[in-house]
Order: sequence, then structure tokens, then C-alpha cells
Amino acid sequence: MPLIDTLDPKVRECIRKRGFSEFSPAQEKAIPLILRGKNIVLVAPTGTGKTESAMFPVFNALLRMPAGGGFKALYITPLRSLNRDILARMQWWCAELGLTVGVRHGDTPMNERRKQALSPPDLLITTPETVQAIFMGKRLRKHLSSVKFVIIDEIHELAGSKRGAQLAVALERIHVYAGDFQRIGLSATVGNPDDIGKFLCGTRPFSIVQVPVAKQLEIAVRYIGDDLDHQVNVLSSMLKGEGSTLVFVNTRVTAEALGHALFERGDVEVHHGSLSKEVRIDAEERFKKGEIRTLICTSSMELGIDIGRVDHVIQFGSPREVARLVQRVGRAGHQLNTISRGTILATGFDDLLESLVIAKKAKANEIERVTLHTNAADVLANQIAAIMVEYGEIERDRIREIVERSSIFASCGRLLDDVCSQMEEHRLIRIDGSRIVTTARARRYLMTNLSMIHDERKVPIFDMVSRRTVGTLDESFVVGWVHPGAIFITKGQLWRVLEIADGRLTVEPTKKATGELPSWEGEQIPVPYNISLEVGSMRRERNIAAYTPDKESIAFSGKFLTEMDKNRSLVPTDRLITLENTDEGVVCNVCAGHKANEAFGRVISILLSARYGTTVGLELDAYRMLLHLPSSIRAADVRDVIDGLEPAHMSGILRLALKRTALFKWKLVQIAKKFGAVDPDADYEKISIHRLLDFFENSVVQAEAYRELLMEYMDIDTAAAVVGLVKKGDVKVGIGPLSLIGAGGLLSSRDQIPPPTADQVILSTLQRRLNQTEILLGCMNCRNWKSKTAVARVPDLPQCPKCGARLIAALKPYEEDEYALMKKPGKNSEVRSIEQRMLRNANIILSSGKKAVIALAARGVGPEHASRILATLTDGDAFYREIMKAERSFIQTHRYWA
Amino acid sequence: MNLEFFDEGPALVIEGETRHLVVADLHFGIEADLAAHGMHFRSRSAARLKRLMAVIEAAQPDALILLGDIKHSIPSLTRQEYYEMPGILADIRKRIPILVFPGNHDIGLECFLSDGELQPKEGAVIDGVAYQHGHMIPDKSLAGKLIVIGHHHPLLLLKDEVGCALRAPAYLRASVDAEALGMNEPAEGDTATRVLFVPAFNEIAGYDILQIVNKPFAPLSKYIDKEGAEIILADGTLIGPLSAIESDAPD
Repeated sequence: MPLIDTLDPKVRECIRKRGFSEFSPAQEKAIPLILRGKNIVLVAPTGTGKTESAMFPVFNALLRMPAGGGFKALYITPLRSLNRDILARMQWWCAELGLTVGVRHGDTPMNERRKQALSPPDLLITTPETVQAIFMGKRLRKHLSSVKFVIIDEIHELAGSKRGAQLAVALERIHVYAGDFQRIGLSATVGNPDDIGKFLCGTRPFSIVQVPVAKQLEIAVRYIGDDLDHQVNVLSSMLKGEGSTLVFVNTRVTAEALGHALFERGDVEVHHGSLSKEVRIDAEERFKKGEIRTLICTSSMELGIDIGRVDHVIQFGSPREVARLVQRVGRAGHQLNTISRGTILATGFDDLLESLVIAKKAKANEIERVTLHTNAADVLANQIAAIMVEYGEIERDRIREIVERSSIFASCGRLLDDVCSQMEEHRLIRIDGSRIVTTARARRYLMTNLSMIHDERKVPIFDMVSRRTVGTLDESFVVGWVHPGAIFITKGQLWRVLEIADGRLTVEPTKKATGELPSWEGEQIPVPYNISLEVGSMRRERNIAAYTPDKESIAFSGKFLTEMDKNRSLVPTDRLITLENTDEGVVCNVCAGHKANEAFGRVISILLSARYGTTVGLELDAYRMLLHLPSSIRAADVRDVIDGLEPAHMSGILRLALKRTALFKWKLVQIAKKFGAVDPDADYEKISIHRLLDFFENSVVQAEAYRELLMEYMDIDTAAAVVGLVKKGDVKVGIGPLSLIGAGGLLSSRDQIPPPTADQVILSTLQRRLNQTEILLGCMNCRNWKSKTAVARVPDLPQCPKCGARLIAALKPYEEDEYALMKKPGKNSEVRSIEQRMLRNANIILSSGKKAVIALAARGVGPEHASRILATLTDGDAFYREIMKAERSFIQTHRYWA
Repeated sequence: MNLEFFDEGPALVIEGETRHLVVADLHFGIEADLAAHGMHFRSRSAARLKRLMAVIEAAQPDALILLGDIKHSIPSLTRQEYYEMPGILADIRKRIPILVFPGNHDIGLECFLSDGELQPKEGAVIDGVAYQHGHMIPDKSLAGKLIVIGHHHPLLLLKDEVGCALRAPAYLRASVDAEALGMNEPAEGDTATRVLFVPAFNEIAGYDILQIVNKPFAPLSKYIDKEGAEIILADGTLIGPLSAIESDAPD
């Protein structure tokens, strides 16, 4: 029987009316499975009729159910704009079929909501967050008991996020009301569809239907150089042809720059997340109607919002990930069975090689895997709170049963108990034996924490000098790290915090030192390890021609590498790490991708900072790290550190290194908020939260901060594997001066790695104070020369300029009068004892030089104490620690306090 | 007179004829105030008391001097305080006699104190050393003494090039202009009037020392000699004069 005949006549009729003449491959495969009641994940590029594949059989089933009685199908998408788009498409079908459809999300008006509570539509289109809200309404959640279908659109986007982890639990909470329902996931191409299936269904069986994307892709890479004018010219000439074009860029700044340059053409619009909703919708509409032919956009356009026909996709700069490229180019050729054409415009050496690797992998269908947030503790806390509000009181085992049905928390084990204890700590729940009881706070908490998206308050940054607002910072960043005097970077400038008050941060520009990047929710898309590694192998084999026929690309990269050879620079590859000395520090060229370099760079930095007691600045990208170091620390020292690294220890070192960073505190505050410890509108100005953060030491909150950072920002396992390869000799380490490769590239991530112990800063304060201390040098030989000076200016071996003797005493300034007595004849016993003391003082300096001067400058340290300190034969930090000890015992005596 | 520093407090033993353990600003019940500001933690009173008892064990003093702000809520007792305070005080009392110099947060505390525990809020001299909470003008008789006070919660922020590297409770010692405070001429044999700011025992209280000095909020902090003031860490490490930490002032 042809597929169409398996459907209800009404549905068939509609399909005919809509003018569909044949089913797409996706539909051919998926519809029968859904009709048979199977859970499925449909993996197919955008525009292959995914929504219809899912909905035809769902309509089919809905028609056979009695009218009314609750939501029968939930269609969940990650975006409101997608909801609107899907609603517009579904309304026609539902009207024809006599089904009811509604949309519910943050923007839905009150009267519409009330209507839904009274007479729920058969098909509800919604977002994950609104599903959470539905559980909060008594009447509304009853309507969940009739759910027979849940369709999750763009499931790949949700699966790898905490929103998705939350949704996975929500599905199991629906299961409590509805029993088994059919689950349908619609996904773009991913490397691990099986994990997506488990994410959707837990341990229930499911089928995967894949429509391969590779054959339909046609991707070209062109090298266009780094000059903006030239880039714009190339782009402009590419837009001359027929048809419509999407131009994807990686940052909003680039979008704006290109938009500005192409504005005069009159048929180009810009589309990105910082623009208002109205502006974006207007651009989408005009593109759809053909009023404009080009849309310059960021990832805002990746998901399946219907914008009509796209003939060509241009990716400006490397797409950085295969999945992203496939997703973006997939927007072209929106009709079935047409080929998607895309062009990557590469702007530099790294960019070109990276683009070629990604294009090759896209054709070979080697898409990145989606990593699930397995056992995300803050999501668990959030869902336990939600369950408590839903049930009021419940057995802990019952909670376990619900959450463990999802694959995200299937192995949560002790985590559930730890999370409950932590929640009790913040009075979000009460534990009563085996039962969990809700508290008065829980509902209020939930109302402000329905979403796992960090919808952060932004704190305005006000520049005192220009008296204007220069930008905003994430609130968690301000709470966790910023204090008066703190220095940070934003808008490419350094700022010093003067005051945090009235909900804003008052700053002044500063030139001193380097700071930390103020916000990590940047737009940088990390380049994965295997792509960076393959770029390394291209550099080694110099086989660019094997990747592209583009003459310009081959010529440019050939010239670039020849130039490296001419300069006798070592070319860093997948098998060679090079360390290069520069004026600013040391560049480490490592082809390991962003996340591994982030982990590796931080480990090296903390070890360097511990060894040399200095702060190390770190900037990095997928191919190199720049360590900002004092000029005394060179590449060879960095190699020592790398050689001494033990891969197994790196994770522990990294955790230690992270602990004192702003990044870590920022995460900690975010997670603490989800545990109910900190309200979204907490008044942190009145109370210093810094020490509150100490309360999370060794808690599940802290563990989650580490887990998330290590998953999202840094890949310590890969970094350790790279070090393992160095140890085995498979990867060599070379040293040289700064090369073209080392100097190139955009250094995207900045951070500062302070020395690991607070001790360092105390010692350096002591050192600074002693250096500044005024002392009186007096010659004990001729007794006729004295000089007041700061310790810092005393030479290593002080000498009397009058008699040339080295018998110099270092005295306190107030001993000037006593020194004057030294040259007078006829001393009484009191003066003789002073003389004895001064001679002893001078003798110590005679034998130990400046070190003795430093010791004698300390508070309450006389010759006896000084010689005891010197007798320890310590140097550097240890020497200053001895001085510190001596001062400490002095302070305990009456002499200090009198 | 000898001093001993107990880092794990911070607390201080001042030993003359007798051995006094000095503890400032316990702020039992602060959690209710945190909650009002949107930060929710269970009462940490038990842990704080345990820490105090451990310091008492380590110090083996003859008496405990509490420099005020034993409880937190103003202007009245919260439920938490009403239930917790009697037990807390009884536990300490069982181990050691206490002397309380009441602070601005101690409204309502009197009813939990036993005879002889409550000291004058203007301060008093015990064993040659003067004590007061630090929120008001000291009694005239305190002139020429070392006045040991709380109220200010001094916290030292040490910065390296990155920003802030250390944040630790610290003592501040300075001489004070007794005349400006309307106090007596120092008596015969006394030295200049000096003040020692004791850091808060409460684990989350703390004001930047530089703020205390530059924007003083109590009579004693208003009239100190900034030049000669010295900072000492909770473990007795001498950090030095204010200038030692002010060096990275605006460039």
C-alpha cells in the first residue's frame, strides 16, 4: 500500500490541498514508524519536511481521539520565534482537520492562557520553560494527563544544554500523569544520534531515522585576505548574481561591520541577537517576501525559522565546527532534493586551513557529538524544587524514580541525596526522614527559576570620567568577583572599579596591569580538538591542494609556509609544539583546540606562577597560547614546566588553579542561585558575598561549578592526552623566536592566573614594606659617615665612602642621636653597650651584606634576632618567612604595644 | 602585658595579671538578615559556637571578653535569636566567665545575661587594658590606655597585579587623639591613648580597612592617627603601615 493510503482520508485530503505531490525521503521513512507508535529521532537537515513528517501521523491519531479533555500533543521548540513560525504552519492544518491548536510561551497574553486552562487545545506549541510553568497550575497540569505525543523540535540544540536536562526531567514528570506517550525528536545532523534518542526516551526503545546530508552539500572555500575593503568587494560581487543569500558571520561585531559596508546596496539587512525582536522579525519578513536579497546573520538564523527560499549560503570566516557549517549551509536550497550550496570565505592562514578541514569533514559527514549535561546538580535541584511545589510532600524514593527515568539522571546515585541536603541548607526543602517536604520559599524560588537559561541581570558600567555608561556586566560576575579597586577589561579597555552602588558599577579607565575578561558568555565558538589537530597535520604535510582546487588558497598558504621557512621558524604541527620567546612573554603553539588549550594554558600558568611567585596572564585560541610573563621567564622555563607535568595530576592542578579565578566564582554564584541560596534579585551591595562563597567549599554546588566549567570551557582530558604524547615522544617540543604563526591569530580568551597561595601576596607586601623602610647607615670604622636611605637603595655590600671600610651598621632613623655619640671619646657604660650593639649590627652586615640590612629593617629585629634569621641560611621566600616569624613574635610582646 | 593571636578566631589573648580572651562581633542570627537580602542559608550558629569553644580550649583563658554585637538583629530580637541566644550563652558560661561590652546590635541581649556580665557600654579598664564595643565615645577614664574595640570588622584586601589576591580579617592598631574625643589627660604613668580594632569573629562580616580609615563611621575611627596606624593579620603577622597596602592607589 502506498504510504499516503495509510493516512486518514482527511489528512490525505489536506496533503492534496497543500499541493504535496510526493513524500520526501525523511517522510517516507519516518511516517510509517510514527504510525506504528514508535518513539523516533528524525535526523535530517532543515527544510526536508521534518515538521510534517512528525505531524501527519500525529494528526492521523488525533483525529481518532474524542474531542476535548486536555492537551493531546505537545510540540516543544527552543525558541519563541520558532513557536510562532510553527503555529502559523499548524493553524491551517488544524483548521482543516477540525483540531484545536494553541501556543503558550512567555509572550502569550493572559486571556489566551485562561482559555487554555479552561479548554485546552489538542495541540499545544510551547517552550521547555513553559512546560515547567504548566506544572505549577493545578488545573493546567491536570490537562497533561491526556498527553499522547511529545514532539521536540531542534532537539540537538536542547540536548547539550541545561535547558535540555531540565526538559528531560519534565518529560518524566508528564509521564507520571500521562503514562507512556509517544516521543518524537527532530534533530539536525549530529555525531551521536543515539545519545539524542536516549536523551528523549530514557531507557525506552526508540528508532533513529537519518537522512544523510553529505551528498546534498556543495561547499567551496575561498581565501579573501584580511583587508576589510577587499572582503567587502568580494562579498559584494558574490551577491550580484540571481537569488537570495544568507551570510553567516561568527560575531555580532562582524555582522555590523559588513552590514554597514554593504548598506548602500539597499538589499541587505543585518540580523543578530542584540537587535530588537521587531527589527529581526521585520528583516525576516522582508527577506521572505523578496524585498531584500541578503541577510547578514549570526547563529540567530541557524534554527529552522522559515524565511523562504535561500539560494546560497556564505559563511564569512571559519565556521569553527562541522555541525555549524552543515546546519548553516543546510539553509540553502530549501526545497526537497535540491543541493545546498555554500561558500566559506577564509580570512587568514589559520582560518583558511581550518575552513578546509571543516568543509572536508562536512562532506564526509563527520559531525561533532553533542555532550549531554549528565548529572547536572543545579538542574536536579531545580527539578526537585519543582516537584516539591507540584506535590507538596513526597517520598525521596519517588523523586528518585521520576528523575532516574531520564537518561540525564539515570545514574544520579548519591547526587540526589547530596542535592537534597544542600537544598535543605538553603531552606528550599525540609527533609523529614524518607520524605521531602516543601517550604514556604520553594514556590517563590520556582517562579523566578523556571528557566535554566542564565537570564542574568546586567549591571551597567558607568565611566566616572566620561560620565556615561560604557557597557554592562553579568550580575554573577559582579557578585562573585568585582570589588572596589578591581580591574577588568571590557570594550577592549581596562577599567578600575571605584564603587558598586545603586545597582551600577562606577569605574574609571586605567592603564595599569591587565585584567580578566568580564564575561564568559561571549560569542566565541570553540574549535574542537580534532579540527585543530588536522590543521596541524596540514601544516606538517603541506597538502593544501588535497583539500581545495582554489588557486588563491593554495598560493597563499604555500607562500605563508615558505615565509616561515625563510625565517627559519619551526612550523608547529600536530606532532610539534613550539615555544616562542616574545617581548610580552612566551607563545606556546599547540594544535589542540580551544578547550584543551584553555585547560593546558591554565595548568602551565598556575605552575609558572607558583614557581616564580608572579601572576601569569593568559590569552589563547585553538592553536596557541600567549603567556604574559616577566622578562626573566623564558621559553626554556616553560618547557621545564611542560616536561615536569604528569598527565594524571593535571586535572587536580586545574581545579586548584580555577578556584581563585573570577570565572569560577561567576559560575559558583550562578549555580548557587539555582540551589536557592541566592535570589535572582539579591541585594549583594549590602552584604559582601565573597565569604559566603566559602560556604560552598567541598559542596555539591562547588562540584557542579567544576563539572560545568570542565565540560563547557576546558577539556582537561585532551590536554592531559597531549602531555602524554609529549612524554612518549610522539609530540616534540621546540623552542624558537616569535614566528608568523605564533604572532598570528586572534587571541580570544584572556584570564589571569594568580599564584596559588595567598601567602605570596603577604610575602610580597612584606618585601615591599621592607624595601621602602627608611634606615640609617652609619660607618662603625671611621664613625664619621652616616646616610639615611631606603632599604631598596642599599648596595649588596655597603661601604663607607669616607674611609672605604665595610663595617657599616644599619640603624633605625631614630637612632641617629645615638650614632652621634659613637665618635665621642669617654663613653659611659650605657653608651658602651649601645656601641657593642651597633658593632654587632655592622659585623652581621659585613658578613652577610644586604640580606642582613633587610633583616635589620624588620620591626623589632635587633642584631641577635637578625643573626638567628641569617643563620637559617634561607633565601628568597623562605628568608622572608623567617623575618615574618620574627616580627610575629615581636608583636606578641609588651614592647610593641607599649 | 603580652598578646597571643588565634588565627582560627580571629581572637586575641591579652595577658597581664589575668589571661583574657577577646572576641568581637559574633553576630549570632545574621542569617535572618542575609535572607532579607536574598541569600538563604541555614543558621550557622552551631558551627560558629563550636569554633568559639575550640578557640577557648586552645587559649585556656581565665575569662572571655566579648566586645559586643553578640547578636545581629536590630532593633529587636528575631525568633532565631530568641531561641538560640540563651543556649549559646549558657554553653560558654559553663566553660568560662564572660564579660560583655554591649554593642549597637545587642538590644534585647540584657535579658539573657547573668549578674556581673554586663559591662558599661562606654567601656571600662580591666587589668590595665581598656575595652569597649567601639560605636560610641569612650569613657574619659579610658584615656592613656590601649582601647580594644570591635564594631569595625576590619578586613584586609591585599592586591597583586591581578586585582585582589587576599581578603583576610586583620587588626588595626593606631594612636588616637584623646583630646578631640573629650577624654581626660592621660594619668601619670600612662602612655598615649591607642586603639586596637579587633576583626569580627563572624565569618561573613568584614569591611575593607582602607574604607574604615578613609570613611570612618565611629568616633574612635574618626580620630586615629592614620600615619602611624599599623595592620596585623589574624595570626599576628605584621603587614605594616597603611602605606604598605595603599601603594597601588590610582595611577
